[in-house]
Amino acid sequence: MHDPHIILILTTLLGAVGLWLMLPRGTHRGRSVGIILTAVALGAGASQLPYLGDWLTESIFGVLAAVTVVSAAATIAFRNPVYCAIWFGLTLLGTAGLFLFAGAQFLAVATIVVYAGAILVTFLFVLMLAQPEGKAAYDRVSWEALLSAVLGMVFVGVLSMAIVGVFTAPREAKERPVAPPAAKELAENVLVPQHVAALGTELFGKHLIAVEVAGALLLAALVGAAVIVAQGKMEEKNERNAQQKRD
Amino acid sequence: MPEISQLLPLIPALPLAAAMLTAVLGPRLLRKQSHWPTVLALALSCTASLMLLCKVHREAGQEEYERSGYEKIVTLYTWANVDEAYESDLRLRSPEGTVVISQGRKPLENGRLRQQSPEGATVNSRRDDSNKDSLATAAPLGLYNSEVIPFQGFTSLANDCRPEGTKKQGATIKNFRIEIALRADPLTAVMLAVITFVSTLVAIYSIGYMHGDPGYWRFFSYISLFVFSMTMLVSASNFLLLYVFWEAVGLCSYLLIGFWCEKPAAAAAGMKAFLVNRIGDFGFALGIFLIWTTFGTLDFHDSTAMGVLGKMRLASPEPIVNGAVGTAICLLLLLGACGKSAQFPLHVWLPDAMEGPTPVSALIHAATMVTAGVYMLARCMPLFAASPFALHAVAVVGGLTALIGAVVAITQTDLKRILAYSTISHLGYMFLAMGAGTVLGVTAGMFHLVTHAFFKALLFLAAGSVMHAMGGVIDIRRFGGLRRIMPVTHWTFLIGGLAMVGMIPFAGFYSKDAILLAVAEKFSFGNHVDLVYQTLYWTTFGGIFLIAVYTFRPFLLTFYGKDTVIPPEAGHHAHESPLSMTGPLVILALGAAFLGLYLEKTGGLAEFLAGTPSVAYLNRYPLAPEPSHETLESLHSSIGRQSTVMVAAGILFTIFLYAGSRRRLADRLAGPMKRLGLYQLSFGKLFFDPLYRLFVVRPLELFAQACAWFDNRFIDGSVNLVGILPKLLGAALRPLQGGLIQFYALAMILGVLIFLGVLLL
Amino acid sequence: MSPEIALLNNYLIVGAILFGLGLIGFMSRRNMIVMFLAAEMMLQGVSLSLVAWSRFRNDFGGQMLVIFIIAVAACEAAIALGLVTTLFQRSGRLDIADWHALREANQPAFVDEPISEETSTEEPLPTLARAGVAPQVPPVKTDYRPNV
Repeated sequence: MHDPHIILILTTLLGAVGLWLMLPRGTHRGRSVGIILTAVALGAGASQLPYLGDWLTESIFGVLAAVTVVSAAATIAFRNPVYCAIWFGLTLLGTAGLFLFAGAQFLAVATIVVYAGAILVTFLFVLMLAQPEGKAAYDRVSWEALLSAVLGMVFVGVLSMAIVGVFTAPREAKERPVAPPAAKELAENVLVPQHVAALGTELFGKHLIAVEVAGALLLAALVGAAVIVAQGKMEEKNERNAQQKRD
Repeated sequence: MPEISQLLPLIPALPLAAAMLTAVLGPRLLRKQSHWPTVLALALSCTASLMLLCKVHREAGQEEYERSGYEKIVTLYTWANVDEAYESDLRLRSPEGTVVISQGRKPLENGRLRQQSPEGATVNSRRDDSNKDSLATAAPLGLYNSEVIPFQGFTSLANDCRPEGTKKQGATIKNFRIEIALRADPLTAVMLAVITFVSTLVAIYSIGYMHGDPGYWRFFSYISLFVFSMTMLVSASNFLLLYVFWEAVGLCSYLLIGFWCEKPAAAAAGMKAFLVNRIGDFGFALGIFLIWTTFGTLDFHDSTAMGVLGKMRLASPEPIVNGAVGTAICLLLLLGACGKSAQFPLHVWLPDAMEGPTPVSALIHAATMVTAGVYMLARCMPLFAASPFALHAVAVVGGLTALIGAVVAITQTDLKRILAYSTISHLGYMFLAMGAGTVLGVTAGMFHLVTHAFFKALLFLAAGSVMHAMGGVIDIRRFGGLRRIMPVTHWTFLIGGLAMVGMIPFAGFYSKDAILLAVAEKFSFGNHVDLVYQTLYWTTFGGIFLIAVYTFRPFLLTFYGKDTVIPPEAGHHAHESPLSMTGPLVILALGAAFLGLYLEKTGGLAEFLAGTPSVAYLNRYPLAPEPSHETLESLHSSIGRQSTVMVAAGILFTIFLYAGSRRRLADRLAGPMKRLGLYQLSFGKLFFDPLYRLFVVRPLELFAQACAWFDNRFIDGSVNLVGILPKLLGAALRPLQGGLIQFYALAMILGVLIFLGVLLL
Repeated sequence: MSPEIALLNNYLIVGAILFGLGLIGFMSRRNMIVMFLAAEMMLQGVSLSLVAWSRFRNDFGGQMLVIFIIAVAACEAAIALGLVTTLFQRSGRLDIADWHALREANQPAFVDEPISEETSTEEPLPTLARAGVAPQVPPVKTDYRPNV
């Protein structure tokens, strides 16, 4: 009989070492080892996940989760920021799939449209504007890669331990999470066919004021971004004028 | 004619107003006219004092005050009044809150006190009716005298009428009350008159003497403040107030002695006077604390409680204070008086005080400062009367000081210093008179205080006149024959000198004989063979000869001699002083010449002073057997004859030594003295200053250095350590603030992890 | 363990892993844009778990929160990119370690460890020219462009 805690700890440590080796460290050595170690850790972790009831659900979730997590790891591991952004796009796709799988159809579409379609593209534009020739030194080396990897993975491990502990530890009946409602009932609410309509009703009914506030926030962010960039331009211009005068 | 209650506050208030006015307006507005407020205020104050004197004299003469004495209290303001301020288990207070009775210290073996008299009840009921104010403003308290209150019985009575519940096994809740109360009685009236009169003359004299000084306004402001302090001191009816102005007088003397503070010697002298006075004041303060714990009040008069020297306490047959506590209080008060009145062993400040301007010396020596100790002794005489040891101590201190002053004064060459030592010597005589502890002694001492104020002020002002003319030179060896150019100064100095040596019929003769009589009375009659007084009498009697010598030696050296010798510093000043200086001299000379005769022949002063409650109380302790008037008179006249012979011998001896061309005779006489070391002893002022430096100042300096070292190293060190700790802590934490966002994120996650870990485990 | 609880469990763990990977990326990467990508990744992890809870509790509340997270993320991205652009214009680099003015006085600045020169054979990625400046087209590529 294996102790799930030991496996969890080992998985965490393996993942930490693997990620450390994968992170940019100024050298290529050990990257493949890192990939292998991370994959092993991922596999070991996945083996501990509970069975979802039927193989179709299990396989769909497995694929989506694997795409999400692997692309996320690739996002932080790649040294070229453009690749990072593209891998992050894949992460977003995986997340959107997971949203869809959880019944949040609108969110899945919104994530793709807003994140992948707008935010990520803006990032790429900025990257292309800012990317200097060749790979920058700061992209090839990380700040305290081992420390960050270990700390982050320990954080993941502790969170997982907490999550798993909540659902599996023998506890008082009261403290157990409430059993989910039957699928029949579920169908009446979140998983209804008119999901988007229900969501809209909820959003513009119960949360109308919040929507308005969010709109105001977006406007403020727009103006703020414009001001920040314009100010930078102005200073640049002034500097250039001063330079010309000096010349 | 204004009432006493109007006159009494006016006397100190005028100089205070003048002091403030001069201090505010002097430097900008008045400048060379700064003397006007002071002179006017002092003159008005003097007038008020004389009116007060007449008023008190008239009222005290009434028959009802004959036995208990006369006093009138003017309460200006209640400084502190706390109800039920503290608990006392020593004393009991009767329910009406008017009487505080010493129980714990009562000598119960004194059977006399235990008798319960039926009158106790009557007195008690009567006091119930009378309210506190009538007591405080001295309703005719004389009537208590006829009814001797048996306090033991009264106490038990008081205990009985106290409501149950407030009684707590001999403990009582008591009020704390300090009043700014002034008193008018013969002693105060005489002191006020002397102080204001002499001060006025000194202030007028200063107009000429201080002319052109850069600190002109400052000087007059200080003078006014000085007079204010001293008048408050003598009219205070409360030990606390007395102490406050006791200190104020010390402060003013410090300011005035160090008036020319640019001169290091003057600054040092001011400091020395202040510090030596501190020793005495320390004893005085301890004495006041002891009085407080013993009596539970600091008032002289009866107010809400029975005053320390109040008529009710004085009227009780029991001694005011007994045993070791009484002696301790008296000795501590004596220490205070020694400091202020420059008595051995605290006399060292007075000669150095000559660094101040000469009018200040006159003021300090005649009116405002050194008399405070004598006044305090006279005021507290009822306390001393209960302790023969304390009286002996006072007399011994006085006699010793008289001798020390005289011996040192003989060989000094500084005119003002000679006068300073003569003051010490004469104050010693006054203390000796106080030490007799009889009505005769106290009145004699006060009599001498009055005459001394006149002739000593006269001598100092005359010496100041000489100094003014000689351009600040004061060494008697450096000038001579001055009578030709300064006739007025010469004649007034002569009168002052004759008064000081006690030549008949000048003032000093009568007062000095009164003192000698008071001392002689203590051992001459009946079976009173008191060796202490006998020794002191003969010593001081011999001292008269020395007085004659040390008075006439500087006189002859200064004003006589074949040639008129003038030091080069004098310049164009070598002439008689202006009228503002000679005028006061003449007035004081008249006083020095005739005041003693007048007061003696009318007999008014002694009789008047005997009307003070504190002095009248001394009649309680008559000598046994009491000498008859005739025997006393014969003793007096014989003392008068003997002392006149002594004085005449002294004067003739001095003239023989110093007058004319026989000055070499003095040098020849000094030869063997020098070989014996006596001359050096006298000239070196008996080496008090080096001895004090060696045994008091030096160890204190070493101790202070040790303290400073400890303070710098340990106290400051520990404080600095506390200061350094946050710095070190900051230095340890500073690397955390590296400015890298990643590090901040890392620290945040670390914190979250710890939080999660604690939650999970 | 019922399938619904198992699904929630799995979603939460995937969310945690996303959050942790984002954290690692944010802490270790020094390119400002990659750091923002990592931060977005952390938001995705949180969103994932919120959606899972929404499904489990049969409640739209979680999804509402995610909608607002997306809105706020859009704001954040706008501001952040503006800042990044400004900072890049100042220093010419995207290195976050250039900006450590928040550090205590007298503290030493962050210093890069020396790394060996990259010998890369990869093609340089395409870059955009600044607005108003004519793009410099690499001459090698123009060789076969007319043929297209």
